[in-house]
Amino acid sequence: MTALLTLNNVSKSFTRGGILSRHRIEAVKNVSFTLENNRPEIFAIIGESGSGKTTLARMILGMQEVSGGSLTLEGNRVGGRTRKERLAFMAKVQPIFQNPFEAFNPLKKIDYYLLLTAMRFGGAVDVAEAEAAADVALRQVGLSLSEIRGRFPHEMSGGQLQRVAIARALVSKPRLIIADEPVSMVDASLRMAIVNLFGELRDKLGLSIIYITHDLATAYYIADRLIIMQKGEVVEAGAAREVLSDPQHPYSRQLRDAVLSPQVTGSLSIQ
Amino acid sequence: MTTQPILRVDHLKAHFRSSYFGVYREVPAVDDISFDVAPNEIFGLAGESSSGKTTLMKTIAGLIAPPLELIGGKAQFSFMPPETNLYGADPAQLARIRWSKLSYIMQGSMNVLNPLRQIRSIFRDFAAVHIGGSNSDFETKTVNHLSRLRLDPSVLDAYPHELSGGMRQRVTIALATICRPDFIIADEPTTALDVIVQKEVLGMIRSIQREMGSSVLFVTHDMGVHAALTDKLGIMYAGCLVEAGRTADIFNAPQHPYTRHLIHSLPRIGDTVQRTGLTGTPPNLANPPSGCRFHPRCPLASDICRTERPMMRQIATEHRVACHAVAGDDA
Repeated sequence: MTALLTLNNVSKSFTRGGILSRHRIEAVKNVSFTLENNRPEIFAIIGESGSGKTTLARMILGMQEVSGGSLTLEGNRVGGRTRKERLAFMAKVQPIFQNPFEAFNPLKKIDYYLLLTAMRFGGAVDVAEAEAAADVALRQVGLSLSEIRGRFPHEMSGGQLQRVAIARALVSKPRLIIADEPVSMVDASLRMAIVNLFGELRDKLGLSIIYITHDLATAYYIADRLIIMQKGEVVEAGAAREVLSDPQHPYSRQLRDAVLSPQVTGSLSIQ
Repeated sequence: MTTQPILRVDHLKAHFRSSYFGVYREVPAVDDISFDVAPNEIFGLAGESSSGKTTLMKTIAGLIAPPLELIGGKAQFSFMPPETNLYGADPAQLARIRWSKLSYIMQGSMNVLNPLRQIRSIFRDFAAVHIGGSNSDFETKTVNHLSRLRLDPSVLDAYPHELSGGMRQRVTIALATICRPDFIIADEPTTALDVIVQKEVLGMIRSIQREMGSSVLFVTHDMGVHAALTDKLGIMYAGCLVEAGRTADIFNAPQHPYTRHLIHSLPRIGDTVQRTGLTGTPPNLANPPSGCRFHPRCPLASDICRTERPMMRQIATEHRVACHAVAGDDA
C-alpha cells in the first residue's frame, strides 16, 4: 500500500511579541498519521477551538509552512516548490470552508468559480470543456450547471451554496478534500444531506476526506477514523466509533460527556 | 392554565417593509405567532437560520426599528400595565423595566462588553442604577453574584479581552441576572462556545434560573441544548410557529412533519441508523409559498396545504401544532 498523505511529527509554532516580550506558541505538536492511497476514508479531526485543528488543515493545504517534521503527499513535499508543482498539488488537494457565504465573492457569479477551477486545475482548454467538467462535478452533488448558471451567492441557500463549494472542489478531480467545519453553518434540515454526501463521495469516487469538526455526533455517524486534539497535541486516535463509544483519555471522555444528546432524559440532564 | 403567564404573545406580526426606487418588498419575518411563557419556566425556540427567531425576540423586547414594523398583535408582559406593549412605551418607564425586570443574554459576548471598560465599570454602568445603595454595597453584591457563577472577584479588574470566551459569556450572564429580573431573553448564548464550556454555562443558566424563579426565553438552533435545558419548546419555520409544547412531548412525539424530520435527522453517538436530510431548501421569506409554508418540502402535503394556511390547533395538553395533516380539535 502506498501512502496518499503522510504526516510525520508535524509541528507548527508561531512567535509573538517584540524583542522583550517574545514568546512561542506551539499550535501543533508532533502530529503523525497516514492516509492510504487505495483505502478512501473519512478522517475526522476533533478538538475545541484553539486546539490546532485549523492550523493543521492549513499546513496540509500548503497554505502554511511546517516548522518541524515532514508532511508529504504521495511522497512529495506538500505545496510544491515551483509554480507548476504547486498547481499540480492544488489539483490533488482541495479545501471546503466553514461558511460558504464567506468562501464566495458576493460580487461574482458562482459559475465563474467552477469554470476557473476547471480551466486552471481540471485541464480544460476551452469554455465548453470547462462547462462540461463543472456540470459533471455539480451532478455529483445533486445540482446541475443550468440550475446555477448566472446566479450570485446571495440567491442560494447555505446548504445549496455549500454543495456548490463541494462541487468546485471536485472539478479538479482531487485525491483528498480538506473540509473545515463544513456543516456548522448549514441549517439543521440540510446538514445531514451534506454529511451523507461526504459518505457518497468516499464510496463512489474513492475520495479521502479530512473532516474537521467539533461535532462528535456527526463524526461518529460518518467518520472511519479520527484523532482528538487538545492544545496542539493528539490525545487519542483510532477507529471513530470505537474511540467515541469508549474514550480512554480524560480529555476525550470530558468531550464525549459534554455532548448534549437530543433526547429528553428527565428535566435535569444538566447540572 | 391556572397561573397567569409572565409573557403572552398574541397573534404577533412584524414584517420588514422596504421601498427603494419604487420596488416594494415586504418580508413577513414574524407571522401570526402566539404563545405563553409561564413564571419559572424555560421556553425554548428552535428553528433554522432566517426562520425569524431573532426578529421575534426583537419584537418581543420592543426593539423595533425600520425597516421592521409591527403589523399587529401584541406581546404583553405581566409586569407591564395591562394593554401596553414595550414597543412605544415611554422611555422613563422602559428605563425602569429594562435590566431590573427584563434582561438579555446576547450571543457574541465580545460585542456586548465594552472593550475599553473594566468589568467593574461595566457592571456599574448596567446595574448600579437599579440596585442603588453605596458603592461598597454594590461591590459586595457584585462579588457575591459573580461567585455564584464561579467567577473570581479578580475578573472585575480585567478588561474583556483578558478573559476567555467562556468567562466572558459567564460575565454577560452575571450581568443579565444581577438585578434578579423576572424575565431573561437569551439569544443563542452558547453557540460560540466549545462543547465543554457550553455544558458548564448551560448548567449555570439553569441553576441561577431555578434559584431566582425567573422565566427564560431561550433561542438556539441546537436541538441538543433544547433537550437538556428547556421546559417548553416552540419550533419555528419560515416566520411561523409550527409546533409548541412541552419539550419532552415534542422530542418523544413530534407531530408536525418538519419537527418530526428535524428530530429524526439528528445523529446520536452510539446509534448508526442512516439519517437523511430534507429535500428542497428553506423558503425565501420575501416570496413565501402559498398556504402552509412547509408544503413544498412536506411528504404529507395535500391540496389544502397549497391553498390554505394551517392554524395552530390543540392536539394534547399544552401541545399545539399548525398542520392540516395532523388531526386535532380546533383551539
